[in-house]
Amino acid sequence: MGFVPYTTLSSLRTLKCCRLMSMYPPHFAEPILKKDSEIINKKDVSHVPIKAAPNDLSDSIFYGVLKNKLLKYITKKGNGSLAKQLLTDTLETIKRTQIERLNLINAEKENVIIDTERILVNAIENSRPLLQLSEIKRGGVKYQVPIPLTEKKSYFLAMKWLLDAAREKDRKVHLPDKLAWEILDAAHGQGRVIKKKDDLHRQCESNRAYAHYRWS
Amino acid sequence: MKMLRKQFVNLSRVSTHLPRNVLASRAASRGAEMSTNVAPAETATAPPPVINEFRTGVTNPGEQSELHVAKFYTIPIEEKKQIFSGGGLPKQYEKQIKTFTEACLMVRSPALELLHYIKNADLTKPAVRYVLYGDNGVGKTLTMAHVLHYGALNDFLLVHVPWAPNWMKRPKEAANSASQEGFIDLPFDAAAWLIHFKAQNSKLLQRLQLKTSKEYVWSKRESTPAGATLIELVEHGIARIKYASETTAALISELKQLATAGQCKIMVAIDGYNAFFHPITRIFSDNKQRVSPDRITLTQPFLDITSYDWTNGVCVLSVDKIAMTEGYMSSYMPRYLLGKEGFEHLDPFVPVHVGNYTDKEFISYINYYLDRHWISKTQPGFEEQLKFLSNMNPYTLMRLVRGL
Repeated sequence: MGFVPYTTLSSLRTLKCCRLMSMYPPHFAEPILKKDSEIINKKDVSHVPIKAAPNDLSDSIFYGVLKNKLLKYITKKGNGSLAKQLLTDTLETIKRTQIERLNLINAEKENVIIDTERILVNAIENSRPLLQLSEIKRGGVKYQVPIPLTEKKSYFLAMKWLLDAAREKDRKVHLPDKLAWEILDAAHGQGRVIKKKDDLHRQCESNRAYAHYRWS
Repeated sequence: MKMLRKQFVNLSRVSTHLPRNVLASRAASRGAEMSTNVAPAETATAPPPVINEFRTGVTNPGEQSELHVAKFYTIPIEEKKQIFSGGGLPKQYEKQIKTFTEACLMVRSPALELLHYIKNADLTKPAVRYVLYGDNGVGKTLTMAHVLHYGALNDFLLVHVPWAPNWMKRPKEAANSASQEGFIDLPFDAAAWLIHFKAQNSKLLQRLQLKTSKEYVWSKRESTPAGATLIELVEHGIARIKYASETTAALISELKQLATAGQCKIMVAIDGYNAFFHPITRIFSDNKQRVSPDRITLTQPFLDITSYDWTNGVCVLSVDKIAMTEGYMSSYMPRYLLGKEGFEHLDPFVPVHVGNYTDKEFISYINYYLDRHWISKTQPGFEEQLKFLSNMNPYTLMRLVRGL
């Protein structure tokens, strides 16, 4: 498994500032997550207007930007508490599997990642697509044109694919179990989601001749 | 519209020019926020000096003392299999045991207190009843498990009911009793209990060679003669499930007599004992009425063996809020849970309060979890947060930590 650098979706949060329809002018500062740290110079922020903190932001150990995002994608009909329960179950299953794996092997114990959040990040980073096919009509013919994705959209697609794969299951299998398998698979660079991403990339590659239709 | 699309295109173009690892550098600048960055280094270095601190090599509960409070001892696999294969440890704890590849129990003061009483008890006097009580998830069942382990190692015959409310709330099957008019048999549950009893005590029963005192006639053709061993009696009950309830009653009255005669000593352990005094069960009688627990044939023998009219035994009982149903769960105190009838049945008893973790136990547990790789997020102050969120309640802590 190629180790994916630990990049997280702190960018997802920062991306908000350049949102087109933002209700805040650009000089507003982001709220600070940690209570004590991060404020390097209090004078710097003393007269800067600060955006209102989103109500799901917290500095507890249970908080992760990426986890939060995934939580919102799992949620159905606003039932956030159920989604939270499902995600926690998923993480528990992942942790159990990894610990059992760790107990089974004798050598190279360092290679088994037990930190569930890191596994989740790895899985999502591994399943992020770079390009997407979009239908563009030129001269009466529709072409499948590869276009690059924004960062945010690629994260969205990765998580959506993981969830779709998890939801496509037997009725007797619970979502947390299936989601855990998919995440573990994706974190190791295999499984259905990775295959889906590779297929998409391959199609984009074969349609590269149409790429110029994006702008002409 | 076109303008908007142009802008989108611009945006997406920008994003492709950014190499992916730019994210990493951005994340690094926010390193403090992303807790997991810290984790691997600390888990790799921290545990070794801690290991001996929260474990103890004394695996015999009889030898544990105040010195070992808040330390973990391991139950050997064979003993765990013998005592707890039919229940006795909570399901989620069993799961932990499987994941951690060891059956560890923490030595806690309620268990030590109880063991101290049991060790110093005069067995020639009538059986003393100890009642474990406490809020939800404080470890009553595990305290009982600890005591059971002691009993199994010290030649007590175990009469152990892993969770009595199962009989009242979700019996496998209910049938009208043949011998007692208007009573209800739970043949499968009784047989399951007999199997559990046999699994726990088979070695001791073989050694002691206990005999029945009178002949039991089950039907025209079947009977157990006087002088048969108790194992035969139990095996008959398991083989003929129809008579399992009656066999249980016979077995328990025999055990009481044998113990009073001094042939064996008995440890009775019943979890969720107050279920026997709940006003109503979920079992329906023939006329579609819910029956009360005293109309179930299994209740009577277990009430008999928890009364004080026999010697050479100890009774460890637990009263639990979740053994009751809604409307009867507002307090965890024995008087409330047992009701007037149950309280008078048990009176006088020794109450043993099981409470939340102390600071020392809490820290020990966190260390244990760290050692077993169960917690992988170790940014500074995480113990404080867990302590605050769980209120040092063992079950809440276990549930909180699972997603970390």
